[in-house]
Amino acid sequence: MEAMHDVLVVGAGCAGMRAAIEAHDRGASVGVISKLHPTRSHSGAAEGGINAALGNTAEDSPEKHAFDTVKGSDYLGDQDAIEIFTREAPGDIYQLEHWGAVFSRNDDGRLAQRPFGAAGSPRTVYAADITGHVLIQVLYEQLQKRMAEGMTVHEEYFAFRLVIEDGRCTGVICWDLLNGGVKLVTGKSVILATGGAGRLYRATTNAYACTGDGMAMALRAGLPLKDMEFMQFHPTTMYPSGILITEGCRGEGGYLINKEGERFMQRYAPNALELASRDVVSRSETTEIEAGRGVNGSVYLDLRHLGPEKILTRLPGSRELAMTYAGVDPIYAPIPVRPGAHYHMGGVEVDNWGLSEVEGLYASGEVACVSVHGANRLGGNSLMETITFGRRSGQAAAEHALSASAGNGAGEAARADAERWVKSILDNTEGERPWAIRDELGQSMLENFGVFRRAEKMEAQLGIIEGLSERYERGVVVEDKGEVFNSDLTQAIELGYLLDLASCMLQAGSARTESRGAHSRPYDFPDRDDENFLKHSITRWVGDGPELSYREVRMTQWEPMERKY
Amino acid sequence: MAMQVGLKIWRYDARTGDRALKEYEISAPEEATLLDCLDIVKDQHDGSLAFRKSCRMMICGSCGMRMDGGAVLACKTRMYDIAQAGQVPVISAMGNLPIVKDLVVDMEPFWQKMRSVDPYLQPRYDQAQERENVVQQKTMDVIHKESLCINCGCCTSECNSLESDPDFLGPAALAKGMRFVGDPRDGATIERLEKYSEAHGLWDCTRCYFCNERCPKGVDPRDAIAKLGAEAMKNGIDRDMGAKHAKWFVTSAKTTGWLRETELVPKTQGLVASIKEVKFAMGLARKGKVPPPFPPHVAAEIGESRALFDLVKAQGRDGALGIVQGEKALGRIESHHEAAGGRDPYNEPDSAPRPFLPSEREGSEEAVSQ
Amino acid sequence: MKKVAYYKGCLASLSAKELDISTQALAPKVGYELLELESVTCCGAGDIHEAEPDYYVHLNARILAYAEATGCDTLMTVCNVCTLNLRQANYQLQIDEELRERVNDNLEQVGVPRYQGTVDVKHFLWLIAGESFAELQAVAHKGLKGLKVAPFYGCQILRPSKLMGFDNPDKPESLERIIQACGGEAIDYPAKIKCCGFPIIQAREDTALAELIQPIEQAKEAGADAMVTPCPLCHLSLDAWQSKLKKQTGKDFQMPILHLSQLVGVAAGLTDAELKFKRHVVSVQPVIEKLSV
Repeated sequence: MEAMHDVLVVGAGCAGMRAAIEAHDRGASVGVISKLHPTRSHSGAAEGGINAALGNTAEDSPEKHAFDTVKGSDYLGDQDAIEIFTREAPGDIYQLEHWGAVFSRNDDGRLAQRPFGAAGSPRTVYAADITGHVLIQVLYEQLQKRMAEGMTVHEEYFAFRLVIEDGRCTGVICWDLLNGGVKLVTGKSVILATGGAGRLYRATTNAYACTGDGMAMALRAGLPLKDMEFMQFHPTTMYPSGILITEGCRGEGGYLINKEGERFMQRYAPNALELASRDVVSRSETTEIEAGRGVNGSVYLDLRHLGPEKILTRLPGSRELAMTYAGVDPIYAPIPVRPGAHYHMGGVEVDNWGLSEVEGLYASGEVACVSVHGANRLGGNSLMETITFGRRSGQAAAEHALSASAGNGAGEAARADAERWVKSILDNTEGERPWAIRDELGQSMLENFGVFRRAEKMEAQLGIIEGLSERYERGVVVEDKGEVFNSDLTQAIELGYLLDLASCMLQAGSARTESRGAHSRPYDFPDRDDENFLKHSITRWVGDGPELSYREVRMTQWEPMERKY
Repeated sequence: MAMQVGLKIWRYDARTGDRALKEYEISAPEEATLLDCLDIVKDQHDGSLAFRKSCRMMICGSCGMRMDGGAVLACKTRMYDIAQAGQVPVISAMGNLPIVKDLVVDMEPFWQKMRSVDPYLQPRYDQAQERENVVQQKTMDVIHKESLCINCGCCTSECNSLESDPDFLGPAALAKGMRFVGDPRDGATIERLEKYSEAHGLWDCTRCYFCNERCPKGVDPRDAIAKLGAEAMKNGIDRDMGAKHAKWFVTSAKTTGWLRETELVPKTQGLVASIKEVKFAMGLARKGKVPPPFPPHVAAEIGESRALFDLVKAQGRDGALGIVQGEKALGRIESHHEAAGGRDPYNEPDSAPRPFLPSEREGSEEAVSQ
Repeated sequence: MKKVAYYKGCLASLSAKELDISTQALAPKVGYELLELESVTCCGAGDIHEAEPDYYVHLNARILAYAEATGCDTLMTVCNVCTLNLRQANYQLQIDEELRERVNDNLEQVGVPRYQGTVDVKHFLWLIAGESFAELQAVAHKGLKGLKVAPFYGCQILRPSKLMGFDNPDKPESLERIIQACGGEAIDYPAKIKCCGFPIIQAREDTALAELIQPIEQAKEAGADAMVTPCPLCHLSLDAWQSKLKKQTGKDFQMPILHLSQLVGVAAGLTDAELKFKRHVVSVQPVIEKLSV
């Protein structure tokens, strides 16, 4: 065994670091495991902002924020979780600022808040257009303070298996990426904060690291995943990579235009226009592009009218991204954008404290599904979720760990077993290199399970995933047989996660015969069906494949209404 | 569209010590970055090639490496022009850090230096307020550039002072220090300045400007270090020879205009050390390189310089503010030139059309099927 | 003859007089009439930029204002550090109207003409490698006879490139072109764009010497007969501090270091009085002998 802690946090993005800080501050010994150095985590790529009803710019309230979130979720979000979320968010923002977060300010020196998609009041706290970066920095600063007080960070440890003994989670098995070797790290509580799985798609805003590790580990350990079919496509990503251009550009007044120059969003969302909910905007863009009113498969995000001063002050990061990756300077030319896979609403099913079905196992952030976001997430709510639920899961995990006993040492056997498995991968010399499977998965998911879905395509995709999984199971070749920095090995393992998750998503998506939020079926089931589908999809791995069931949505104040922007 | 890209990559295995320059020829899309090309090499040619990556959009800081001897972010480096020119760049690991394997360096010395500047807020007040601290944007702008740092290590890789003195704190750690010194919410300003002014601290910077040149985010660490020096001297933390050296320049400019070179030695190093340098100084004096301090070489209209000094001191743009005041302009050099050239975003040959709302167009009610 | 305002800086006024003398002798031969600025001060180097940054902006604004008063469109410098300092201040004042107004009000108050932003700061290196390259080629008739010269750029003539921008900061060519145009052979070596250590040569001598040895040693090993540099501070390091290198490492390089104006001056037939090689600490005699053969 490599190390033992009270609380183990797997993943060191915003949720992971916030959870670790909370657990440490409540007296638990904390070990953070991350396959990347913490500041490399993908939370840092978030741009536009973080939502809380501070009321600094206009009148606002947690209830308004909650309603916007419920409506944004297309009524699939669990309202009790959402009420907690919006009520606690402001305090969490103030905590970040007290720790030194470098947010942008109003004229009166208070935290500035910008308008964002589907928000009834401007409540998105921001730092120019690098909000995620600023959050990652302040959290890592606070982490370093606690590292001097005993917190351990196991950096470049690739967690790949949970240790569950007697119905409790007691640790995590990792591949030491920097030095090599399969290592066991134990904890009395384990928090998964491993982020999303955008890398399922060829065009995604997500980093290479976003391969659904935590979801896949939980799935294979028998835990239920919730709402797997709901993948948000961000409306403004660049071609061909999918690199993100923040919603903040529209929040600052940017327009979406088609090839004629028409601000087409007026036809789809006459009130909110460009700041309608993300799923609405992505659908509108896709419709325009399919109707031939796009330019080279994209529409335009036009910032020219904002003027150089505003762009250089509020959106300098976006400008640099556009210049580097799209070859355009948004001061002088619009940015070609199209929908790209961005955020996974689904994930490990947890309660309002981040506790999963398994004792001692928690999850928060994108890997979890509480569900705050239901069928579609509002921009700015994800960063807030990482902080609020990161904190809550850290608290719950610490309280549990401080009263729980250690495991019974079954971890060592699990570690040896995992080591044999890794060796079998490394020893394999026959088969194909993983990249072809990876690329075919990414391309086919985009074609068959993108913004618009239909029965035939989903059926076909199920077959494709099956075929790719078979090829993967037959054996892929990891060329690097060494111990030191073997990312060839970890990338091969990550591909396995994506294949598992893809089959879950397709199963749930095929079965949901309605359109709700990000799951849009305009050709066969264009309407929302509250009578039959006001419920969460629950996926478990049974035998050698996923099995689907359902769970009721938890409602408190709001009955589902027609959703118009 | 595809292009042919040639790369020479320094392979290295720290365990065996084996080192070799390997050449690769690949086909890549025209928009490919250096990182994309490395992925193609790893996928299709040699899976053992080791390098760090994650976001591929210049924000995570993972992919710092050297191209032709200078550190860059691999994901920021487009390869089209290089490939078209038929150049074959040499890719190697970042400098000034131990190499683990191929393009992966051991970042631990980097993080350790970061930790040594106490990189977390030490709040000015005991009791946190219920809401946010009220701070003007202009005040926060003092540390705007320092807050951009993504810890990629490109500055550290090329730092000339660090190369000659591995104990130098380095540009990234010092820029992080300035992030706190300039943050009005931090209460440990004096302690920080004292600490950063010690040996291997801010006065060790050799002003080679490699850090500014290589930083992919516009942090300009050299200027952050200058801001630290300015704040230190403003607060009377000026015992270091570097500070004394700088003070003599100010005195010279006020009194004679031109630098009083000869007196610079004792003013910086003190009388005792200067006496030890006598032999060296004699060698220089023989060649006329030690101009006699008397009579002083005074520039014309020196009174103007003296008056300017008094005037600016009274206006109180002290310490780092004197450097911060120029940052906006320096950050706008390129866009300023473009705009000055009369570029109109709507009137270029291939400008995208002007935006309009459907309701603004008369008689056009397109029926759109959703 | 093109008239340019001439700011020679501190070292060329005093310890590096040979730089000023050779520049003043050479400039007319390549087509420049130098209008020397008198009512100026030290540009502040990195020191005043750090110690009193607001004063630094004003000192340089004053130099630029007096340069403008000559009616020229170019302010010529002969030092890397002066060039960076003046260009940096120039950009700040040209682009930031609010800053410019404030600085100008202060200048006016002490009797200095208001800064207009009409002058461009250029190092002599850029002039003869650029607009006056033809004149350079014409004037270098005596030639360097294949003398092997290692160019040393130093730092602040190249970086930050967004402020400087004449040469490619990673692969500069201007000195090499000049060496070749003068009939010499340009020697290549990695440390030609690295730091000579001068800014910390007093405060951190060990670090500075560890930097300084690199270009000299590499140039020597590459077979250079001499080195040339466009910066008098680098020159001071490379030339006057070579003895300290010998003391510390035992290595006696005996590498002659020439100012740019001297290198071109030799090829252009300047006299001994105009070149003033005797002011160098490391003897230039081996170069003179090679050239007189």
